[in-house]
Amino acid sequence: MDFFTNIANIMVKYWKTFLLQGIGYTLLLSLIAVAGGAFFGSLMALAKRSKLKILKGIVNAIVEVVRGTPVLLQLYIGVFVFPMIVPVLSSLPYIYSVAIVLIINSSAYVSEIIRSGIEAVDIGQMEAARSLGLTQRTAMLSIVLPQAIKNILPALGNEFIMVVKETSLASTFFVGELMTAYLKVKGYTYLTMECLVIVGVLYFALTFILSKLLKSMERRMKARA
Amino acid sequence: MLDIKNIYKNFGDLQVLKGVSTHVEKGEVVVIIGVSGSGKSTLLRCMNLLEEPTYGEVWMEGKLMTPPDPYLHFDVIRASRTYARLVSEGLSDEDAIKKIKDDDLLKEKHPKTEGPEYAALLKKIYDDNGIDINLGRQKMGMVFQSFNLFNNKTVKENITLAPIKIGKQRLKDAKKSGKPLDKTPDDIVSEANEKAMKLLERIGLQDKADVYPSTLSGGQRQRVAIIRALAMEPDVMLFDEPTSALDPEMVGEVLDLIRDLVKDGMTSVIVTHEMGFAKEVADRVIFMHDGVIAEEGTPDEVFNHPKNPRCKDFLSKVLY
Repeated sequence: MDFFTNIANIMVKYWKTFLLQGIGYTLLLSLIAVAGGAFFGSLMALAKRSKLKILKGIVNAIVEVVRGTPVLLQLYIGVFVFPMIVPVLSSLPYIYSVAIVLIINSSAYVSEIIRSGIEAVDIGQMEAARSLGLTQRTAMLSIVLPQAIKNILPALGNEFIMVVKETSLASTFFVGELMTAYLKVKGYTYLTMECLVIVGVLYFALTFILSKLLKSMERRMKARA
Repeated sequence: MLDIKNIYKNFGDLQVLKGVSTHVEKGEVVVIIGVSGSGKSTLLRCMNLLEEPTYGEVWMEGKLMTPPDPYLHFDVIRASRTYARLVSEGLSDEDAIKKIKDDDLLKEKHPKTEGPEYAALLKKIYDDNGIDINLGRQKMGMVFQSFNLFNNKTVKENITLAPIKIGKQRLKDAKKSGKPLDKTPDDIVSEANEKAMKLLERIGLQDKADVYPSTLSGGQRQRVAIIRALAMEPDVMLFDEPTSALDPEMVGEVLDLIRDLVKDGMTSVIVTHEMGFAKEVADRVIFMHDGVIAEEGTPDEVFNHPKNPRCKDFLSKVLY
């Protein structure tokens, strides 16, 4: 019974650290990584289909490096190297460098998902649009991409859930998100198990809500056609 | 109306078309037949540049859709450095041109290596005659074997998409160049919708306007695909085996619609395996074999008195 009383007591005393700071920073980092990942990921997917060999090569190299190394390592490199390249970052908190690394990381994965989605759309769709005299751009935007996005929504949702969980690695640099909140409160209270359970429940709640949201979006898109 | 000049098409090392030239008159119905792999679909797809010809030119209503092919212009060949070198080596004008053509000596991808005069001539031909590929395609309707209706659009949206997008683009361009505007964007949308409903009525599918293509039968899909092409008011229709992917009981309805169009005087090029239909609607039949036109003539000439042994062989297999 002590266990649950402890949890209750911790929540009463440290709810701000968990709910405001912890969830706040986790959501902030996830949103930045997801939005940036979706934006740059789409650009990278288009770059991969471009005729410019150099552009293609650069993007492919980024994707391979990002996929082939652990996120934690990328975070370390980001936090120590970015401030050397961009001096402004050295006077800012670590969270800026962390956010940039997460954006790059998620862009690489999203670009692969989008590329596979575009390639899965029947080539006849593009041909039909072009045969009517539509430009490549219009055909891509109004015919191919909408179908591609519908097909990749489950994979994209998975990636977004992964991003939410990957933000926990940022606690290595004590940036204030949920896992940092855990480290802090554990330090104050020495109640490791209780703090882990609280943080676990919160992470689960976040990703569960996100996955339900994505499911309903998928259903709405399935309803059409 | 549609001029195909000496088209070659290679896919890697595979030569699919080996020098095809033909001309389609206004109002003419040309049917292309031949065994699978003889290049008939590729030829049709080269006509609206869904496949880019490796060599050769496509002219639509006096406008050049492909980049100019130096081998088709004697004055361009004569302006090249290669020609100058051959002539200085003692070849006659005729021999030099023949050698250049036979050995593919012009480096047409790199006009600079053939001298400024050569590059200027090529550019002049394109500047005088060239047309934006999308403009050319707007005058050609294409119907595919596998329908290719847009899955993410309703039947009506399928038909109105191109007229609305292109109409609005034209309006934008007109505005930019300061021309007076005769329509608003809303006019374009309502006109396109009206026309779509009229076309749907023509094929008796007006009650399907707001459903998605996946709910239609194959025959219905192909008929919608045909009127989608018609909505752009094309001058020529290209049919790429329009009935090959259909269940037998649906072939009739699609052929009826094509027959209707042809009767109304629509210029058409039809690739098909329906020999009876070909005989009935064609003004001219082209038999393709191994990447070239092996036999060409009226339906009577080709079907009843074929001269080419390949054509005889093919017809004896398909006419039974």
